[in-house]
Amino acid sequence: MHVDTRSPSMIPGESLLDPELQQSVILTKVQWVKDWGRRHALWPMAFGLACCAMEMMATAATKYDLDRFGAGVFRASPRQSDLMIVAGTLSHKMAPRLRRLWEQMPDPKYVIAMGACVIGGGPYSKFGYHVVQGVDLIVPVDIYLPGCPPRPEALIDAIRKLQFRIQERSGETLPETADETSAA
Amino acid sequence: MGEVGDPTTAATADPVTERALTALRAALPDAVVEAQLDGAHPYIGVRATHLRAVCRLLRDDPALQYECCHLISAVDWPEPAEGEARIDVVYHLVSYAIRPDASYRTRPGKNDPYLALKVAVPRACPEVPTVMDIWIGADWHERETWDLMGVRFTGRKELPRILLPEDWPGHPLRKDWVYPASYHGVPIIPPEGM
Amino acid sequence: MSAPLAPDLPDPTRGGEPGGVVAFHERQEYVGRDVRTEEMVFNMGPQHPATHGVLRVAIKTDGEYVRALQPHVGNIHRCAEKIGESVAFYQWIPYLDRMDYLSAMCNEHIGCMAIERLGEIEVPERAEYIRIIVAEVQRILSHLMAIGVYGLDLGAFTPFLHQFRERERGMDLLDHLAGGRLLYHYVRIGGVKRDVSQDWLDELDAFLGAVEQRLPEYNTLLLHNRIFQERTFNVGVIDRATAVAWGVTGPALRAAGVDFDCRRDAPYSIYDRFDFEVPSGASGLGGQVGDCFQRHWIRVREVEESIKIVRQAVAGLPEGPVLGRVPRGFKPPAGEVFIRGENPRGELSIYMVSVGKSEQAWRARCRGPSFSNIACITEVAEGLLIGDLVALIGSLDIVLGEVDR
Repeated sequence: MHVDTRSPSMIPGESLLDPELQQSVILTKVQWVKDWGRRHALWPMAFGLACCAMEMMATAATKYDLDRFGAGVFRASPRQSDLMIVAGTLSHKMAPRLRRLWEQMPDPKYVIAMGACVIGGGPYSKFGYHVVQGVDLIVPVDIYLPGCPPRPEALIDAIRKLQFRIQERSGETLPETADETSAA
Repeated sequence: MGEVGDPTTAATADPVTERALTALRAALPDAVVEAQLDGAHPYIGVRATHLRAVCRLLRDDPALQYECCHLISAVDWPEPAEGEARIDVVYHLVSYAIRPDASYRTRPGKNDPYLALKVAVPRACPEVPTVMDIWIGADWHERETWDLMGVRFTGRKELPRILLPEDWPGHPLRKDWVYPASYHGVPIIPPEGM
Repeated sequence: MSAPLAPDLPDPTRGGEPGGVVAFHERQEYVGRDVRTEEMVFNMGPQHPATHGVLRVAIKTDGEYVRALQPHVGNIHRCAEKIGESVAFYQWIPYLDRMDYLSAMCNEHIGCMAIERLGEIEVPERAEYIRIIVAEVQRILSHLMAIGVYGLDLGAFTPFLHQFRERERGMDLLDHLAGGRLLYHYVRIGGVKRDVSQDWLDELDAFLGAVEQRLPEYNTLLLHNRIFQERTFNVGVIDRATAVAWGVTGPALRAAGVDFDCRRDAPYSIYDRFDFEVPSGASGLGGQVGDCFQRHWIRVREVEESIKIVRQAVAGLPEGPVLGRVPRGFKPPAGEVFIRGENPRGELSIYMVSVGKSEQAWRARCRGPSFSNIACITEVAEGLLIGDLVALIGSLDIVLGEVDR
């Protein structure tokens, strides 16, 4: 297991500890283990709105098999999930419901905006009066995934990027993915 | 405007529309305003006041049996070439029981056995009697036409919007509809020049 | 027999004398007699896995039974008609793709035909054949999806995974031709974008063979499966009169016993040159005409017929150009056109009005088949069990993108 070698400065009285001992301070490890678990057990909510939902289904199905990346347990209920993949066009009629579903999700929660429509209106941005011009007007977004619709490979990439992002929060830079993380 | 028996259009006149027109003229002489029998889209223009009688006849006449209202659409004409501002409500009817013979499928021009009715109503007060009790399938089409074009269908118990939320401003398919700046605090960016 | 089931009810068989032990064979008379049920209104959707998208259905239930029901649509209204009259004709085609995103090629085909008829544009012979090929491949893909997802609705996960194997192959096929897996913008006004190569045709042939080979496998999983049959026989019956009055089209209409298919009875494009059967509801299959099983069976049969059509089209593919001459800044003359074509879900109709000397349509009206198909559940679902309501909605195979447009 990879262990953080930086000094965990948040713990009072920590500097009294032996430098050797600092490398195995228990608080750091719990945070790390929590994030490690979180990132490999994302439970996405099946939030299919339109065309992109078909590609989301394809990603979860036979050929692309999202389960390989620990994010394939699609839940129908927001209360059981921690990742919302907003796949499709968000309309003004749907926006309050999306907000409510997002609020029903337990913390910590993440949002992937899948497809051009939820990033900024996409092809409907100009004349589509009933299309919300970006889901980030309604809920905060962690990862933007462009495409119309994005290919399944792109969705897998977005989920990987989100996983690195989650691990980053515990102050961790994953050695094998350091380049990708900084690029994201 | 092709008329029945007119030698110039007799060759291209659509037999399906022609048959319905003959039946309508015989039974309801006042109902028909105009008729176009040739071209890509033949139709019969009907007075709004007679629409329900016309529809009932078309459905119940054993030789016609238009048992399905396939589509209701409305076309906005704020500045037509002639006459005053109007909205055309167009009905496309289909019959599965009575079908033209096989030679109809291979005729040039229109070869699809639908029947189009057109009702012109003034744009200031667009009201059309409902046909929901004649064809139940017209229900949602009427609601959509009200929602997007603002044509009122009278004689229904209620006429709620169907696609847009109840408090949406205006009817978007009207040519003079302006994009609102926002809806419940969420901005709507109108296209340039609108 | 232990405690009395309903001791205080006067019992007609005992001279109205209350009390006493109820014999086992008499219990039937008491069932439900003093159990009070309440009507409850609840919402299914708009975010629900069984509604195939963002459909909200308000259901008034009495116990497990549906008493009344009202579908609420519009959650994904994307203003296709307003866009149709705001952008140039050729720019509207990609929006048609997105209306019914599972049958993009068929939508493009019908949309382009409407515009071509308006502008009197000739389409090269080879392009017509390619259009038929891609539209029928799309129909196969769409029906595969419908078959698999219907299993998912009824609680069978396996068929979904199996059909995706063939569906991925078909999507790759169209990807190689058009450069997109789901939405293509391949059919253009006046023809198609790219010509097909011999390699592609070989690939297509292998795909058709694979589907043909796997179809019996899917049927073993669903169509001939006893559990599936029990769930769908006599459930959600849409009879002929209901289907016609509500304007139901496509497989749901044919399952109701109306032998009508636009491809045969109002032929567009070059469908009149091909030999294929139109399956319609039959009584010899078990169940009854118009039930969920028949709608599923029609889809399976249509996949077989589509394979036949594609094979005939490939065999008859003539040489020549694939894209006719369409002037830049195309402005059709004033006129109207109404066209309908058979999509996997039913009849897609487009009514266009052009005023002439304009790059935009004056009115672009389209009718998605799912719009009328889903409307009819208001009448059909009354008295169904909640679990059967899922079976009914699934068997109609709706796509909300074209309900709301």
